[in-house]
Amino acid sequence: MANIRTRTNEDRTLWKGINLNWIWSEYSVLIAFIIIFAVATIMNDRFLHFQNQMNILMQVSTIGVIALGMTLVMLSGGIDLSVGSVLAMAGVFSILSLNASESILVGVLTALAVGALAGFINGLLVAKGKIASFIATLGMMAGARSIALYLADGGSQAAEVGGFMYISNSALGAIDTPIIIFLFLTLIIYIVMQKTRFGRYVYALGSNEKATLLSAIRVDRIKIGVYTLCGLLVGVAALIETSRLNSISSSSSGNLYELDAIAAVIIGGTRMTGGKGKVIGTFFGVLLLGVLNNMMNLMNISPHLQGLVKGLIIIIAVLFQKRD
Amino acid sequence: MGQDTVLEMKGIKKSFNQVDVLHGVDFSLQKGEIHALLGENGAGKSTLMNILGGIHQPDEGEIVLNGQPISMDTPRTSQEQGIRFIHQELNVVTDLTVYENLFLGAEIRNKWGMLNVKEMCNHTEEVLAKLGIYVNPKAYVRDLETSYKQMIEIAKALLKDSQLIIMDEPTTSLTDNEVGRLFAFMKSLKESGISIIYISHKLKEIQAICDRYTVLRDGSFVGKGTIENTDLNDITKLMVGKSVSTDALYHRNAIGEPILHVRDLTSDGNFQNINFSVSKGEVVGFTGLAGDGRTELFESIFGFRKKNQGTIEVGGQSVKINHPKKALQAGIGFVPKNRKENAIVKDLSVIENMSLSSIKHFEKKGWIQARKERHKFEDYQRELNIKVHNPKITIDSLSGGNQQKVVISKWLEVNADILIFDNPTQGIDVGAKNEIYQHIMNLAEQGKAIIVLSSEAPEILRICDRIFVMYQGELTGEFNREDATEELLMEYATGAKKGEKQVG
Repeated sequence: MANIRTRTNEDRTLWKGINLNWIWSEYSVLIAFIIIFAVATIMNDRFLHFQNQMNILMQVSTIGVIALGMTLVMLSGGIDLSVGSVLAMAGVFSILSLNASESILVGVLTALAVGALAGFINGLLVAKGKIASFIATLGMMAGARSIALYLADGGSQAAEVGGFMYISNSALGAIDTPIIIFLFLTLIIYIVMQKTRFGRYVYALGSNEKATLLSAIRVDRIKIGVYTLCGLLVGVAALIETSRLNSISSSSSGNLYELDAIAAVIIGGTRMTGGKGKVIGTFFGVLLLGVLNNMMNLMNISPHLQGLVKGLIIIIAVLFQKRD
Repeated sequence: MGQDTVLEMKGIKKSFNQVDVLHGVDFSLQKGEIHALLGENGAGKSTLMNILGGIHQPDEGEIVLNGQPISMDTPRTSQEQGIRFIHQELNVVTDLTVYENLFLGAEIRNKWGMLNVKEMCNHTEEVLAKLGIYVNPKAYVRDLETSYKQMIEIAKALLKDSQLIIMDEPTTSLTDNEVGRLFAFMKSLKESGISIIYISHKLKEIQAICDRYTVLRDGSFVGKGTIENTDLNDITKLMVGKSVSTDALYHRNAIGEPILHVRDLTSDGNFQNINFSVSKGEVVGFTGLAGDGRTELFESIFGFRKKNQGTIEVGGQSVKINHPKKALQAGIGFVPKNRKENAIVKDLSVIENMSLSSIKHFEKKGWIQARKERHKFEDYQRELNIKVHNPKITIDSLSGGNQQKVVISKWLEVNADILIFDNPTQGIDVGAKNEIYQHIMNLAEQGKAIIVLSSEAPEILRICDRIFVMYQGELTGEFNREDATEELLMEYATGAKKGEKQVG
């Protein structure tokens, strides 16, 4: 944190004249968030209620955790379309192993392992197989969904072990566990990206892969790491989702989550081609989408029209972002 | 000058973000002359030309074309006035064919609105033939050599009627033969009354082709004259603002034991049977023409290219290098050519580019110590004279020379024993060039083994103890410093001579 603050001060003195521009380009997502938040506050007096705010956070926690992984992948210059399907697959595997073993720990580890393994395979295909990430994860998207459907016979799987649902349906003080998980993981990923070698390499890789390789960095291992970590986070999201309902639907769980996650990352200011972007941006991108959904529900906007509003907001947010 | 003046730019001022780039520059161009626009990187040449090309608008000043004041609002206005801009970067679309590239945006159509491919191909062949190039107009540009791509870029500008052509370093990826043909063609353009503004760092080319010159320094006009009556050294002095010594850089270092041995290294289609060794404290040069395989050879030694046979020994130990990381572990560092694509990570800060290859030096229990990184960078900043006011800004805002110094600092931090420099002064101005040479000499003095690859023989002759010449993937000659001359190197580089060893 300390070095970020000094950078701010120095830049300010240096670029006195274009101060506003600079704030806008770094924090446009924050400004957009504040605007939407203010509009929501004015439009509906129930919006600011603590319970409503917690609802918003609870609703975005699954997408939020996935969007963290998506941020990594997109910073490295790739994309992961498989997150929604992998969520369903990890959920189904998790419930099957949970019911078979009657151990919550086994259920939890299964979800994490299945997510990480799917991510690892994505990483191998991209790094070693030299397949474009869009294509590799498109394949995984179809494959994982299919495995989930096959195992659950197209239907839902319900957990038969009582304690499992307490993962999501518990709270620390007034804050639900999924919210804590989301906030905690945001902090962890933020620190990893700012303070560790891995984070530095991901930015370098997304910015200029060839120069990174010629700087004697194991680019392929970093790529595999990025997709595996994304998969692991999807495993966490699968747990939150499955535990909340105490069941998972092989056909509908996770549907279109990849698009919401990508939207949050893009609104958060991460560049599509990688190398530039911030975890904090994604965090506010996720919140912005959550507030928007909540506002539309409170205002009784037809659910059929909500997609249109969301689409417009995504496009407007990106239109106003400073591009290179 | 009177009525022969085609273009006059008066008192042009331009600033970006409150930084003055041009402080009232005057520039005038006569009909049918080749006019060199000279200056170090950052002197404002490109800005001035971008203003002429309608890409930027001047804050103050006026442009007079054929006696008429004109404002260049967009690149289109400029083009409509017959001004053609050949940019330094290649702007060809590699997935299109040669003729499609030439006519991009100006396709010839018949009365039905359909493309007239035949006529476009004929025109293409015609204009390329004038440049001495014979390629099938329907060949895909991606399959062509870089030098051909550059020629296509030039041909594109010549296709339409023009009265003024701006060439921004058009020869960077051309071979000597092609440069010769280009010059012949420029002369014929000149005779037909077309004026050319020629931007280049290569003073020899300027001497060969240009009639007059204008020198800019730090955004101001500092001098002009005719090439004929001017000593090149005087021009250099004008450009850098002080006289730069071109000699006295080289000094022989105590040469230690051999550290790198390469034996029978072969990569099909790139190079064959390469044998050489390099000792500590020695500066060894590799030169040749484009396509001689030297870049491929050293990219292989560095592990960037994998398919090769033969042995590489470092310090007497045979090493298998199949990844740049292995090369680093063996103590080999590599400063690649084409800095922008291969060496700098433009979204990382200056400091982060310095520490990229040796980040473990700055870690404590897995956390990067930003303060330690900064202190180390400040050391290199002093040692290499890197000019940057705030090392936390991204590296792409530095000038070419300073970027290159940061790349060098990256490999110094790794503490590699063997350092390979591929085209180390590409796109770097005269003053910074000398500094880079000086640093290379200093590194050799510290006992590092240095390998310098360059297609510019004078550069190699200035700093190297020993020189290898390559031709079509083979080492054709080896010379000691004392025996080598530019002419001799050229004979071996063109394949006119080969084989005999000059070193005992």
